[in-house]
Amino acid sequence: MQILNFIIQNILTQAAVVIGLIACLGLALQKKSIGAIISGTMKTILGFLVLSAGSSVIQASLAIFGDLFNKAFGLKGLVASIEGINGQAMTDLGLGSEIAITLAGIFIVNIILARITKFKYIFLTGQALLWESTLCVVFAYFCGLRGVPLIVIGSIVGGAFATLMPAFAQPIMRQITGSDDIALGHFCTFGYMFTALISKITGNKEHSTEDINLPKSLEFLQDTYLSVMVVMVPFYLIVAIAAGPEACAQYCGDTNYIVYMFLQALQFVTGLYVLMSGVRLLLAELVPAFQGISMKLVPDSKPALDCPVLFPYAPNAVILGFIFTTIGSITGMFLTPVLGLPMILPGVMSNFFAGGTAGIFANQVGGRRGVVIGCIAHGIFIMILPALLSPMLGQIGFQNMTCTDVDTVVTGFFFMIIKSITGIF
Amino acid sequence: MLFFKKKEKKQEKAVSVKEVCSKEELIGQAEAKIKDLETLSGEERVAVLNEIGSLFTQAEETDQAIRFYEESLEICKQHGKASTDLMKLYNKKRQEAAQAKDDEKVKEYMDKVQSLMQMSKDMIRGNV
Repeated sequence: MQILNFIIQNILTQAAVVIGLIACLGLALQKKSIGAIISGTMKTILGFLVLSAGSSVIQASLAIFGDLFNKAFGLKGLVASIEGINGQAMTDLGLGSEIAITLAGIFIVNIILARITKFKYIFLTGQALLWESTLCVVFAYFCGLRGVPLIVIGSIVGGAFATLMPAFAQPIMRQITGSDDIALGHFCTFGYMFTALISKITGNKEHSTEDINLPKSLEFLQDTYLSVMVVMVPFYLIVAIAAGPEACAQYCGDTNYIVYMFLQALQFVTGLYVLMSGVRLLLAELVPAFQGISMKLVPDSKPALDCPVLFPYAPNAVILGFIFTTIGSITGMFLTPVLGLPMILPGVMSNFFAGGTAGIFANQVGGRRGVVIGCIAHGIFIMILPALLSPMLGQIGFQNMTCTDVDTVVTGFFFMIIKSITGIF
Repeated sequence: MLFFKKKEKKQEKAVSVKEVCSKEELIGQAEAKIKDLETLSGEERVAVLNEIGSLFTQAEETDQAIRFYEESLEICKQHGKASTDLMKLYNKKRQEAAQAKDDEKVKEYMDKVQSLMQMSKDMIRGNV
């Protein structure tokens, strides 16, 4: 009995171990060799620890940024980073085990729903599922759920989103791909459908973006972390200059405050780099296990794939979608304080992936004009929704960050609505 | 949803045009073009490879279509019909493998789908 208690209290309460055990189970179900099971399990545990390290670096940098932003402008400034939210939830809030088990639960619910309902979509984008699992757990926790009920409810809600969001986007996906074989597995669906609606109303699909000559690629986005740095450094420097040397002194000591804040911006990028390395390690075993099992259990499934699956259909729309979503998000950044909400600082990579895909949706139903108007509206939309969620995130403990992927934001609203309706708290 | 109806009519038209050619005719056309390949290189070869891939796709000769599209993308990585058709063909093969309970093949085609998506991402970001 003592040994059992020791195991429960000292081993199974460790998120890294729980995550490792889930990976171990996935590998065993795939009948991998003992060597592969051990190495896969250890890599997954390592992934969690790397993620934790990255999260600490991000939070340290953002704490300084958030405080100085407040001193400089007298309002709250939040960085849109779903990765940061995940890192903080898994480590500081101590929800790592719950998030990992819920992730496995989402896999299971997705498979069950794909088997028994007409929605045959299997969501295969691992990172997006991790973000969704995070938000489900965080908001279920915020609603007062703990232990098994938290995991069950989080899994059901997350699994339902994983099945229904591809179904929601499918009418336009069918138009874009010309078939019903492939679905979209990217939790920005509400943004895409909102863009398509605006584009449909304002655009003209006879004039496609693909009929114009544009550069074939966005070369300045070649390196993810360099792109993030190009955006974060100016933000940090503007805050440093606006706050002044006196406000910065408590942090920078003898170092020049501009230099210090420049290095803090690089610290943020470093943290993101480390955190994402951890996420990749963490998911490297879990996602293929889920893919293999789900494809076997639902052979007639439609795979819901990450957004680059659409890029070949309209590459010009991707480029224009990114540009106009960025214009919209900068507009949204200045609009949110006017509406009495915190200022949200847009993320370059989410603008690229979500904006580019929104561009394809907009082009399909509204052509060039639809892309311009629809994607500006999309940029504003993806700033306002996270801003609306931020007071609740702040209460949970996310002081300097908010979400990016709008379906995860909608998940948060969903939990809040349920909480309000039931009135149980 | 109301605003998606117009496009469906157009797709129906496209299908009826395809049905004009029989499978044998499509394969015959593809084989004639395969002979042309011997003398071609560069962009011309890529264009003909894509035509062959398209003909085999219409003839539902999935393996052949994959072979020619893959060769086309090996020579010249570009967005377009080769990559969009190839994605659908890989998915079709993945589905067949799942129905046959062939785990190895399921994994093989899922990996190919992932590689194609990575290529697409790299191309738009100028990494290819």
